[in-house]
Amino acid sequence: MSHKVKPIEIEEVADYSLSFELNGKSVNINVNPSRRLVDIIRTDLDLTGTKISCEIGRCGACMVMVDGKQQNSCLTMAYQCEGKKIETIEGISEEKLDPIQQAFLEEGGFQCGYCTPGMIVSLKALLNEHPESTFEELKEGLSGNLCRCTGYGGIYRVIRRLSSDNN
Amino acid sequence: MWLDRNSSGDKWKVRPDGAEKVTGKLRYLTDMKFPDLLYGRVLRSTVPYARILSIDMSAALRSPGVIAVLTYRNIPGLNGFGISTPDQPVFCEHVVRFEGDAVAAVAATSEEAAEHALQLIQVDYEELPILDTPEASLQEGAPLLHKDGNILHQTDYSRGDLEVGFGQCAYVVEETYLTPRQMHTYLETEGGIFVPEDGKLTVYAPTQHGYKDRMQLSRILDMDEERIRVISSPIGGSFGGKDELNVQPYGALLALHCQKPVKMHYSRWESVVAGLKRHPMKVTMKTGMNIEGELIAHQVTILSDTGAYSTLGGPVLNFATEHAVGPYRIAHVDVKGKAVYTNNGVSGEFRGFGGNQVIFALEGQLDRLAEKMNIDPWELRKKNLRKATDLGPMGQRIVPTNGPEQVWEAIKQSPLWEKREASSDSTKPWIKCGIGVSLAMHGSGLGYGIPDHAGGTIRLNKEGKIEVAFGHEEFGQGLLGTLEILMLDHFGCSKEDIHIIIGDTDLVPPSGSSTASRTTNMVWQALNRLKGPFLEALFSKTSQLTGYPKEALRTGLGGIWAESPHKEKPLKQVITYMQLANGTNDFECTTEFHYPVTPDPIMGGHYLYTSTSVIAEVEVNVLTGMVVVKRIDHTVAAGPVINPMGYLGQIEGGSVMALGFTLTEDAVMSSGKYVTKNLDTYLIPTIFDVPEAHYVKAIDELPEGDPFGPRGVGEVGSVALAPAIVSAIKQATGVWVTELPLKPEMLLQQLPVLEEEIAKTPS
Repeated sequence: MSHKVKPIEIEEVADYSLSFELNGKSVNINVNPSRRLVDIIRTDLDLTGTKISCEIGRCGACMVMVDGKQQNSCLTMAYQCEGKKIETIEGISEEKLDPIQQAFLEEGGFQCGYCTPGMIVSLKALLNEHPESTFEELKEGLSGNLCRCTGYGGIYRVIRRLSSDNN
Repeated sequence: MWLDRNSSGDKWKVRPDGAEKVTGKLRYLTDMKFPDLLYGRVLRSTVPYARILSIDMSAALRSPGVIAVLTYRNIPGLNGFGISTPDQPVFCEHVVRFEGDAVAAVAATSEEAAEHALQLIQVDYEELPILDTPEASLQEGAPLLHKDGNILHQTDYSRGDLEVGFGQCAYVVEETYLTPRQMHTYLETEGGIFVPEDGKLTVYAPTQHGYKDRMQLSRILDMDEERIRVISSPIGGSFGGKDELNVQPYGALLALHCQKPVKMHYSRWESVVAGLKRHPMKVTMKTGMNIEGELIAHQVTILSDTGAYSTLGGPVLNFATEHAVGPYRIAHVDVKGKAVYTNNGVSGEFRGFGGNQVIFALEGQLDRLAEKMNIDPWELRKKNLRKATDLGPMGQRIVPTNGPEQVWEAIKQSPLWEKREASSDSTKPWIKCGIGVSLAMHGSGLGYGIPDHAGGTIRLNKEGKIEVAFGHEEFGQGLLGTLEILMLDHFGCSKEDIHIIIGDTDLVPPSGSSTASRTTNMVWQALNRLKGPFLEALFSKTSQLTGYPKEALRTGLGGIWAESPHKEKPLKQVITYMQLANGTNDFECTTEFHYPVTPDPIMGGHYLYTSTSVIAEVEVNVLTGMVVVKRIDHTVAAGPVINPMGYLGQIEGGSVMALGFTLTEDAVMSSGKYVTKNLDTYLIPTIFDVPEAHYVKAIDELPEGDPFGPRGVGEVGSVALAPAIVSAIKQATGVWVTELPLKPEMLLQQLPVLEEEIAKTPS
């Protein structure tokens, strides 16, 4: 038998002028309007703190904040970013570490670290919006982030420490 | 000691690689870029078994942006890889043997152009009837997948006489256990960058043994090993899965062919289809004991689906064979194993290494025998547990260990222990609770008969730092933290005074693999060996330069310190490390040694072991068949705890991997094709599937005079949870589960009807 697939003609037309704010700075680039945000961040802008893993919105490794809300950048297209404020892990600690990052460091909240930027972005989005989040709320905030190394032990210690009801 | 931040004191340390990881600054190897970069992709067969009739690459070669399309014709050296036996073709020539087999590879100027080119390569196949179970492969007349047949490896260990043994038994249990095709699911999929330069090739790609990759690549590329540099850290998770070559042959061939840097990074789907999995095993055990509850006879057969190619399928089977006997005294034993080729995805090395499957079965046997005799299953284990100086599971001499006895006793300190006997009534009658306990003894190191080298180098570098170099990799386990802790302990200096080099074959000595729970033990031994000669060299020179007697000198913060003859006076710094280094790399010492190995020639037999016990509490919803794990406590007997955060993390992480193995994880194949293609259907635990109540007790006492130090903990967390959960489910529901992962619908079918009971509940 023959495996002949009619090739899909790919025309990468970078004809969409995209403007958005990334980590507080304005970005203007020409891209294909359907280019994924994760590729714009990682490949075009070389900010590799945002990771790529399942590419279908299940693992959360590519999590960024879009207008303050957590969002999978693998499921976000260029045209959806027009005029938005986007923050990545690189935007979270310009000067000094955020308390979320400090907690991950001290509680053993990561091992290989590949899921960690996404985890931190998810918690940051939640805590920005609800600074007094409870343990259960923080846990729910991580329901879209997978970790394979820690078994969530260290991550539980992190959210226990960050939660408003930590006693 | 229940391990946590408080009990660990100042040994609970922020990891040296931590700040870069939490800020996203760390460049993983798949995050790297080079100018003029090409993108590499592999064309995979998509059919599980077929003859290749023709490959037409002409359209792909004409496609814009395509620089090269390579097939088997473009391999200068050996068209094969495999750590143990190189029977996996880099590119298939006549036949494809599984869905993920590689047929061609493309390099193009963009990812999109490479993707497009793959679709333009025309491969004509004549599909062949597939062998999708080991049973089918073993049938008479089955097509032979490899020239030596369909059996990769067989094991046969026996002692005593089974017939005599079973003749003395009052209770016999026979059961067959099935385990899943578990996927490692490292979050960073396989990838890397390959850079040719001045007749050399630099490989930036994750692996668990850089020198081994170098050797394998040298064979494929027909290129001297010295001309290949493998940089293998940092890594976004591995768990055994990146031990074997994956992207490396393709990236290397493309880069050398194009003479440009090539980047490869598998999509998740490609990682699923091409990557290794845990061997699915069918383990049948017939186990008998006498009227007193003494185990007498134990017969085991193991059928392992190794998939299309071997990688470490043989050693995994050896490991399973050894661990099928466990830490129990049994006079009459017979274990026969077969690792069989099929047209399924390739099975290979994975945390636990064949122990997970047989320990699930063996502990299940103990629980069932206890039920038959109507005694406490924990007491039954005690009755049969090995003693410290007993021989190992296959009759080999092992380093004395009372680990099994220690963990047997220590688990009673878990609060679940008291709860175990009390029947806990839920207010919801459709929720049934149960608690199960199990134990295991797990070998470290590669075992008898396999080269298992170790080594390291220490020097004072020209920046005035105490520098160590090891050929090990950091894939998250905490090696860098462990090395830092060990070095600060040895030299009393600050972390600013040290420098650690790992994972770069141009800069490190051969140190063997970062596998088999061996690394902590190996670096501990290496530093112990290096410390004396290194200090001697430092102090001789210092003495020469300063006039202080060598005996008065110590290493410390920033440099060498001296004791004054009046002991009560504080130490005084006599020279800084910087001054001592004087702008050169000096005072270098290197050590080479072998992992400790049993003197008895029993292939694969281990010498050093770690023991663990696990107690787990579950809730079973008898209306849905769903199981929730409420709490897990581990005890681990592995000698001194060097890096408590790393130790705890290994047990927690290994344990939750085992939770997935037990309840949800299965890379399902149907007719030789993966059905679970991504993380929407392959379900690793989320935070909602894992209890917060999860504790680890570290038992650090070793038998007196033990010279071997800290045992490995990288795998042992993953090997004993499954039988504990299954035992808890039994206590909760009366149903014995024999197939993992547990399928709620199968559990429901076996549950007694509870409608009446539920109807009685006040709403």
